[in-house]
Amino acid sequence: MLFLAPVMAVLGAVAVFPIAYSLYISFFSIKLTRPNRTPFVGLKNYTDLLGDEAFWGAVWRTVSFSLVSVTAIAFIALLVSLLLNQEFRGRRILSTILLVPWAIPYVANALMWKWIYDSSYGALNGLLYQLDFIDKYMVWLGDQDKTLFLIANAFVWKEVPLATILLLVSLKSIPSDLYAAARVDGATVWQRFVHVTLPAMKPGFMLVMIYETMMAIRHFDLFFILTEGGPGSASHVLSWHIYVETFRNLSFGSGAAMSYLLAIATFALSYLFIRTLGRKI
Amino acid sequence: MLKDKTRRLGRRDFLRYSAAGAGALMAPGLVRPAKAETAALTMHTWSAAVDTVQSHLSAFTKETGIPVNYGNSPWAQYREGMVAKFVGGAPLDAMWVSDSWLPEWAEAGWIAPVDEFDSLMKYNAEAEDFCTDSMTYGGRQYGLTYYTDYMAFFYDEAKLKEAGFDAPPETWDELVEQSLVMKEKGIADYPMMLAMAQESWLIEFISTLVYSHGGRLVDDNGMAVMQDPKEGAVEALSWVVDAVNKHEIVSPACVETGELAGLKSFAAGNHAFAMVAKYRLRMLNDPEQSQIAGNVKQAMMPQGPNGSHATVGWMRFHGMSAQAAQDKERAENAAKLIEWFGGKADGAYTFQKLLFLDIGAGFGVKPLFEDPEIRAAYDSYGDVDMIQAQQALARKKDTVTPWFGEWNDTNGSAWQSAILGNVDPAGAVKKSADLWNELKDSY
Repeated sequence: MLFLAPVMAVLGAVAVFPIAYSLYISFFSIKLTRPNRTPFVGLKNYTDLLGDEAFWGAVWRTVSFSLVSVTAIAFIALLVSLLLNQEFRGRRILSTILLVPWAIPYVANALMWKWIYDSSYGALNGLLYQLDFIDKYMVWLGDQDKTLFLIANAFVWKEVPLATILLLVSLKSIPSDLYAAARVDGATVWQRFVHVTLPAMKPGFMLVMIYETMMAIRHFDLFFILTEGGPGSASHVLSWHIYVETFRNLSFGSGAAMSYLLAIATFALSYLFIRTLGRKI
Repeated sequence: MLKDKTRRLGRRDFLRYSAAGAGALMAPGLVRPAKAETAALTMHTWSAAVDTVQSHLSAFTKETGIPVNYGNSPWAQYREGMVAKFVGGAPLDAMWVSDSWLPEWAEAGWIAPVDEFDSLMKYNAEAEDFCTDSMTYGGRQYGLTYYTDYMAFFYDEAKLKEAGFDAPPETWDELVEQSLVMKEKGIADYPMMLAMAQESWLIEFISTLVYSHGGRLVDDNGMAVMQDPKEGAVEALSWVVDAVNKHEIVSPACVETGELAGLKSFAAGNHAFAMVAKYRLRMLNDPEQSQIAGNVKQAMMPQGPNGSHATVGWMRFHGMSAQAAQDKERAENAAKLIEWFGGKADGAYTFQKLLFLDIGAGFGVKPLFEDPEIRAAYDSYGDVDMIQAQQALARKKDTVTPWFGEWNDTNGSAWQSAILGNVDPAGAVKKSADLWNELKDSY
């Protein structure tokens, strides 16, 4: 126990204390620009959020972004992992190339997509124009109907490699005897996929769903670099809302309350995934 | 032998002798106290003109004997970083302050007025009025100029001539007319460049549009008047909405175009008119940085039907921390430092001139307009009389209050929503006004 004490002390200082302290300040009206006025407000920071239209708008956009992103990631990663599970020439090179987006830092990824989506000189406009799909350069991120989907696209591009690896591990662990037995029973390719492959991939899917949902709900970098929550409030998601409240408005009390709600929602979703997908493994 | 001697002066001996020596030094009366050294000042700025600042600081220390610890951080994180320093009680004597943060920092008691120092106040006689106004809050002045600038209206003379016009537009309606002709002749798809992305520049663009439409966002009592159709804001936003959606002379991408991206687009020859900070003129007429170099001219800001050529001016200034002001000697030294940068050093406005010559940053003191070196520099890329005439019509941002930071994001989103057609201009401005008054009541 004595030998564990230093580690416990460090963990207490860098993890337990900040978490507990942020919970504590969420019960106060703390605005850094009013350092002499920090009254205890109890649960007011939380109850105020329930009637805050901007907060619920941000929640809805976060849910939309997460649903679109996680669905796309899971689907694309499934296809790619099935492809990489086959033996063919150049598979190793393809696997390496597919890992590149994963190796790119989030901020670099966001800057790259900012250039791609730029309405004046972006690569997307250049490509579509040269292929005669458009007759003039389009506005991408500035179009509120497209913004969230375009950001989701950039997020999916970055996250697919990891999801692919997780699913590929599940695929590799399926005993070949199962497929042989299914063939003997006369199962078609589709039947083997539905009745052998998919059930065996559930642990991988559970991991992907939990991890990617958590990442999508909390994601900040792309929103910060690509749109700063705009245009209008088209990409004003929960993580951006918390950032603005905490670091621009310097309202640490309400910012902490929002962060706790986000954390609780993330935990609840993870629990839900484990209960539904996990139980059947 | 040598080995023996070394062993004799072992670790214990060393500690013993050291302790004895230190004790002797500390014993009262045995040692005369060293000559009191001047305490070092601490100055923090954002990361601009760092080399110029450092060399000017070295000259200050050489001249006064006062050492200065200098630190800087990026502009994007400067406000938040400084607030953390203030709250955490980090040592700080002088710093750069934006006029946007002055009320917030003054109300919080983090910065101190400097108007009790006659050595600093004497420079007001030579400063532009809006500069002094921008450094004043609650009747107290909080610093001296670091740099100042205003939002300017530029046009591409070649494109104007190609369209058959001899003079730039005087009004916003004329700008629409000229732009439509340019579109028809295929000179530019979007003749006017407006950068309306959600960033720190947005309030400067918005304020300029409102001022030139003869209005204001907030009255002298701090109450929102922007929602009043007679006060210019609704009219200004309606002009932008029409320019984007009806006349199509401003790109719909303006809501994602920041000031720098817009500037580059104008420099690339994509537009005929642009509203950007005046100091950008140097870059726009630099052949190495601009494809329209030599053609960019400045005109007075176009005016609305009931407006004027007014524009918005802004200030960045040298301020003194409240902790420095609490100690008389420290405050006096900090005032000397502020004067060295914001006032005269060796009898001249050295730092403001250096900044102008190095990076083209504007200055807030009128005598520098008569400086031969500065006139020559200006003449190489602009019309110094036009520059000065527009500067004389610059006004401080009327929205600068302790709650400005909280209101600014919502206001920007409201203007963007109107441009995107989600809400009518009157509704967008009303939403912004309602938040303003709500925040005012809460403070």
